[in-house]
Amino acid sequence: MTEVKNLSEGIFEVVKDKKQLATKNLDPGKLVYGEKLIPVEGVEYRTWDPRRSKLGAMVLKKFNIPLKEDSKVLYLGAASGTTVSHVSDIVSEGAVYAVEFAPRSMRDLIGLASRRKNVHPILADAGKPDSYAHIVEPVDLIFQDVAQPNQAQIAARNAASYLKRDGYLLLSIKARSIDTVANPKEVFKEEIKKLEQAFESKFEILNAKDLMPYHEDHMGILAKPI
Amino acid sequence: MKINTWFGVLGIGRTGEVLESELFSKDIRELARRSIALQENMQDIPPAGFDLKAAAIECRFVESSAEYYSLLHEVTLEAAKLQVSGALTPDQRIIQAVEALDDINETTNSLSERLFEWYGGYFPESGLNGEALALFIAKYGSRENIGSEDPLYSKARNSMGAKLEAADEILLKSFSESVCSLYERKRQIEAYIQDSMGSIAPNLNLIAGPMLGARLISIAGSLEKLANFPSSTIQVIGASRALFKHLRARAPSPKHGIIYSHPLINTAPWWVRGKIARALAAKLSLAARIDFYSGEKDASLVEKLETKVQQIRASNPKPPQKKQDSGVKPKKKRRK
Ligand SMILES: C[S@@+](CC[C@H](N)C(=O)[O-])C[C@H]1O[C@@H](n2cnc3c(N)ncnc32)[C@H](O)[C@@H]1O
Repeated sequence: MTEVKNLSEGIFEVVKDKKQLATKNLDPGKLVYGEKLIPVEGVEYRTWDPRRSKLGAMVLKKFNIPLKEDSKVLYLGAASGTTVSHVSDIVSEGAVYAVEFAPRSMRDLIGLASRRKNVHPILADAGKPDSYAHIVEPVDLIFQDVAQPNQAQIAARNAASYLKRDGYLLLSIKARSIDTVANPKEVFKEEIKKLEQAFESKFEILNAKDLMPYHEDHMGILAKPI
Repeated sequence: MKINTWFGVLGIGRTGEVLESELFSKDIRELARRSIALQENMQDIPPAGFDLKAAAIECRFVESSAEYYSLLHEVTLEAAKLQVSGALTPDQRIIQAVEALDDINETTNSLSERLFEWYGGYFPESGLNGEALALFIAKYGSRENIGSEDPLYSKARNSMGAKLEAADEILLKSFSESVCSLYERKRQIEAYIQDSMGSIAPNLNLIAGPMLGARLISIAGSLEKLANFPSSTIQVIGASRALFKHLRARAPSPKHGIIYSHPLINTAPWWVRGKIARALAAKLSLAARIDFYSGEKDASLVEKLETKVQQIRASNPKPPQKKQDSGVKPKKKRRK
């Protein structure tokens, strides 16, 4: 017997032999990155590997994931679309604006987007949000996973242009490599300080947690406009 | 206020209401091209929080939200495709060739070693290796087939090697043929790189030579990036492992990037190599910039560089004197 538990809107825990994070597959029969398909009572669930996805890890770290069926999402750092595919599953009636600046990754993302009507790929630098102002509407969630030194500024700038007043900002923050000398707690504190500076008290941090054991040197941040 | 959107140019009022609109036609390709142009120009962008979808419906570009998204989807997809195919510039093709060459070299070396070990059991005295060995085996197979006109004839006669059975001979011959064809491919790729460097980066080609020039572009990621590197970076390109060590462990900063394979440096006495490397890096940087921004060939670059190198060598004819002879190892100076 396969058991399905609803963790958050559009996000499930499927228990078949073991517990697995999953979303309902919007592109039936198709795999994106070697995950598994589990049909349960006529619904096809697609497993979601938290080790391959910061957002997946955030779900398991009990972050509140503010997504609904019709949410509009600005996704910064889409890469080849591993996580984008799950966001696309969740916001089945919404829209994902998927920004990625590496042409090589965009090639894969295009493949994904051509099979998913709610994914709108944008080849652009997330550090220049003005460059997609003619395309992107105000959104309910900005998710960012760019792993860049200026990640805090990128988030702040995009939020200022595109986040709705009642929207949320969900960030994967890559801390400077945690070497043996530095205390990880200190390193994370430093990153939060950087974020707060970039936010200029326009956004409030609601939750901040490391993403261990799924991702080393990474922290999840949930924030909203003040 | 006038704003640019992917579906048209709008005049909007204080509260974002659409006052006038000049809508584009619903031609996906056209819309995609416009969108890319807007992405570069960033003029008259909609104000923060502007609801594009509502405006598109309000000015009747589309009738419904569903139509808006389906059109937007096609346009973004088409624009991304155009941009990705445009990103495959000639320098990216050279990079693929350089990487293919590295892969082929690696494979050929390991297959050649395998062949050397393998055939060594049957004719250890051949003294051949690499492509020569592969050609030899492809031609003769067993050493018993060597004709008396071949210089290896007597060695083959007296070899202590084992007898090569027919089945093994077939295997070895076809394996050797594959190795030979890899050497062929290698030359083909090298010729391709030589040709393309002459047209894509003529100045870099003149100063660095095609292979070094192509490697510099490859490691930098593109000709544009190379052109934007300061010459101090060009000097250490390819020394990344050493550079990493330098950053982490404060080891002395590396001076040996791949430009050290340049004949002007590797034929120079050791004590002027650093100076020549700096001069060379400066000229390479200039050459990359000219290639990227104008593309005009400037033959005077090479002359200037050679003059400069002669000056360096003339004013440093002897190795520097050791400062002390006390037996204590002098502390290594850190380079800036
Ligand atoms: C860690 S990966 C993202 C992985 C992805 N979120 C997933 O889970 O499937 C970071 C990506 O961000 C992209 N990136 C980094 N800086 C960027 C920028 N300024 N604008 C757009 N994309 C950027 C990189 O090219 C890379 O593909």
